[in-house]
Amino acid sequence: MQDLHIASAFDRDLEDITALIMKMGGLVESAILNSANSLVDRDVELAAKVRAGDKAIDALEIQINEEAARLIALRAPVGGDLRTVLSVMKISHNLERCGDYCKNLAKRTTVLAEMPPIGGSSNAIRRMAREVERMLKDVLDAYIQRDTELAADVRARDTEIDQMYNALFREFLTHMMEDPRNITACMHLHFIAKNIERMGDHVTSIAEQVIYVVSGEIPDEDRRKLDRTSFVGKVGG
Amino acid sequence: MDEIKISAQDVNVFYGETHALQDVNVKIRDNTVTAFIGPSGCGKSTFLRCINRMNDTIEICRVKGDILIDAEDIYDRQVDPVQLRAKVGMVFQKPNPFPKSIYDNVAYGPRIHGLARNKPELDEIVEKSLRRAALWDEAKDRLGQPGTGLSGGQQQRLCIARAVATAPEVLLMDEPCSALDPIATAQIEELIDELRQNYCVVIVTHSMQQAARVSQHTAFFHLGHLVEYGETGQIFTNPQDKRTESYITGRIG
Ligand SMILES: Nc1ncnc2c1ncn2[C@@H]1O[C@H](COP(=O)(O)OP(=O)(O)OP(=O)(O)O)[C@@H](O)[C@H]1O
Ligand SMILES: [Mg+2]
Repeated sequence: MQDLHIASAFDRDLEDITALIMKMGGLVESAILNSANSLVDRDVELAAKVRAGDKAIDALEIQINEEAARLIALRAPVGGDLRTVLSVMKISHNLERCGDYCKNLAKRTTVLAEMPPIGGSSNAIRRMAREVERMLKDVLDAYIQRDTELAADVRARDTEIDQMYNALFREFLTHMMEDPRNITACMHLHFIAKNIERMGDHVTSIAEQVIYVVSGEIPDEDRRKLDRTSFVGKVGG
Repeated sequence: MDEIKISAQDVNVFYGETHALQDVNVKIRDNTVTAFIGPSGCGKSTFLRCINRMNDTIEICRVKGDILIDAEDIYDRQVDPVQLRAKVGMVFQKPNPFPKSIYDNVAYGPRIHGLARNKPELDEIVEKSLRRAALWDEAKDRLGQPGTGLSGGQQQRLCIARAVATAPEVLLMDEPCSALDPIATAQIEELIDELRQNYCVVIVTHSMQQAARVSQHTAFFHLGHLVEYGETGQIFTNPQDKRTESYITGRIG
């Protein structure tokens, strides 16, 4: 960890804003788990709770941005302090997006609860969501500890999420081809899987912020994108 | 644009037993504002004074190593320090107006170096210099009064006017804004930026924000060492040395 500032109020400001990020991260973690559980258990009440909970996440993003603006105006941060403030703004945005995806998942859960289940797909979706939640938990730990190794590990794990998504995509195609009555549910499930995959990308972006805060450099985009679904159906592809 | 104006090689400075600067190596670019930052007593003023041989005037001071301006060794025996100081102007940490009128303070340099052919030309230089130093409005009705009768901040601006009046190639400024209000500070910073078009400016400042605002390159000194030297944006977003980081972020290093 870094040395303390001579102005201790500066340290307190940075601690406060970091605490807000952690609080926001905690809310998003529960939103991921709860929304996935509501899907598997067809728990409409839990889904409603997730939808209502998104307001608190949005409010935290606003609060974090206000605190960051204040800190920039009053303390003119430089060096690592500046990178911390910039990262906080970026991360709060990533978390807010994840919150939105959870809310969307919960909405679709409410619709899907009225339809017959599609094989074991909701369990597969929950596995994917759980993995994203673990990645988020790890990346927030990495942020607090300034642990670039853990951040790099999280970043690498996103390829697994991409693979899970690709597998689900194919499964949904199969179900839709087997019986067109599955199409509505499969479309909803597909959006859910896609949104979880997007959450993985946001978590990856947070991991990159950890690396930026520590090193001052954003890692290269060398992680090969494993979502190949854009090519599905291509003739000869 | 990127030509090297000043080059220091293995510069060591001693005041008697005190080893004030140790093995300083740096290349300072022309048409650039270079900021020297660092804690009090780290040797910033000492290094600045090496660049126009002001240290010669300090009895116990010894300077070792080479300082080249335009590839010429300024410590060469053939170099006349007085001529050198016409080329390398300086604004000191403490304002030091001559015990003369405001007008004569500014006119002094141009007179001895023959920069004006007649009174109207000299008047013009004086007015222009005072304007550039953001002092004209306050001084124009009292040009005949002694410079020492001005307020601290006004005296500092008078010294800046005096330094720019001779159009030096290199301008060394040791905390030129330490006694100035924010408006005068902004005006001096604007002047510094303007001077950069034609000159090489080196400024010592204790204000990190000022260094960040006015300079393109920043050098961080610590305990007589030049610890880090680089592009200002890089120094303030991603310094490479932990001592630099601690200093600019206000940490207990
Ligand atoms: N004329 C002098 N005689 C003896 N020692 C001196 C003299 N001038 C400076 N020193 C010493 O040399 C060291 C560097 O001083 P210098 O004035 O260059 O520091 P500085 O970085 O300009 O500090 P500040 O920010 O306080 O102006 C200090 O230890 C100082 O005590
Ligand atoms: Mg000094």
